[in-house]
Amino acid sequence: MLESYLVRGLKAGLVAGVALGIFVAVLANPMIAAAEGLAGDHGGHHASDGSGGHHAGEGGHGHGGHESASGVLGVVSAPLISVAGGVFWGLLLGVVTFGLAFYFLEPAIPGTGAIKSAIAAAGGFVTVSGAPWLVLPPQPPGVEQALSTDARLWLYAGMMLAGLSACLLAGYAYTRLRDRGRGHALAGAAVPFCLLVGLAFVLPANPTTQSLPAAFVAAFRAQVLFGQAIVWTLLAGTHAWLSAEGDGTTTTGAVGSVPSDPRPSSD
Amino acid sequence: MATANTVHGRIESARPALTTPRVALGLALLAIVGFTLLFVQEPLVHDSLHNARHAAGITCH
Repeated sequence: MLESYLVRGLKAGLVAGVALGIFVAVLANPMIAAAEGLAGDHGGHHASDGSGGHHAGEGGHGHGGHESASGVLGVVSAPLISVAGGVFWGLLLGVVTFGLAFYFLEPAIPGTGAIKSAIAAAGGFVTVSGAPWLVLPPQPPGVEQALSTDARLWLYAGMMLAGLSACLLAGYAYTRLRDRGRGHALAGAAVPFCLLVGLAFVLPANPTTQSLPAAFVAAFRAQVLFGQAIVWTLLAGTHAWLSAEGDGTTTTGAVGSVPSDPRPSSD
Repeated sequence: MATANTVHGRIESARPALTTPRVALGLALLAIVGFTLLFVQEPLVHDSLHNARHAAGITCH
C-alpha cells in the first residue's frame, strides 16, 4: 500500500519536475542571465558575508560570468544542470509530499478525492516555499542581502519547520472543530497561519540593496511564484488524476459489469 | 485493513514494509537530494544549480 503511494508520488513528481525543468530552461535561465547583465556594472552577485571569497579564489569563476560558467562535469553548462535541478526538485516534492506525507496523513486531511490532493499541495507549498518567503522573498541574482548566507539558510530551514507545524496544527484544529460547524472549523484552522505571519514579523529583517530596477525584481518574484504555483498545481492535478484512475480500475475490475445506465437522467 | 483509515492505522499497516535498512536507505536518499538542492554551498555544486535555486526561490547567497 505504501509502495503504491510512493509510486504515485513519484509519477506526479516526474510530471511536475519536467514542467519545472522546461520552466527553468525557457523562462528562468534567460531571466537570470538578464539579471546578471543588469547587475553586471556593480560586480554582479557578490555575497556580503565572506563566501564571496570562494568565488574570487576560483579564478574568474565569479557570478558575473554565469553564462559561460561550466557545471560540475565541466562539460555540461550550468544552466543545463539547473534544468536537471528543476526536474529533481519536482521529483523530491512529489515523493515526499504525495508519496510519504500523503500516505500517512491522508485520513486526517479534510475533504475527498481531488480536494485532498489540493489541500496536500497547498500545505506543501506553504511548508517549502510560502512560509520561508515571508521572511526571505525570492531574490534575483545581484541583490545584496544584509543577513549572512548561513543565517539565511537557518532562517529558511526554520521557517519550513514553522510552516509545516502551522499546516499540521491547522489540520488538527479543523478536524477537532468540524462538529461545531464549518465556520468554527475554518476559523480554528486560520489561527496557526496568523501565528505564522506574526512570527515572520518578529524574526530579524533582511534589508537588501540592489542596482536592479524595482520593476525587474517584482517581475522576477512573480515569475518564481508562477513557477512554483505550476509545480504544485501539476503535482495535485496529476496525483488526483492517478488516484481517481487507480480507484476506477479497481472498482470496475471488482464489479465486473458496467452499471446499466452510465448517464443518469439528472436534468 | 479496517484500522487503516486513521493516521495511526496507516503507520501500523506500513510497519511490516518499513524494515530498518529500507528506512535508512530511503531517508539517506531523500536527505542527499534535498540537501544538495537546498543547502549545499560548495561553489561548484552551488554554481551549477544556481539558476534552479533562484527559479525555485530557495535562498541563495
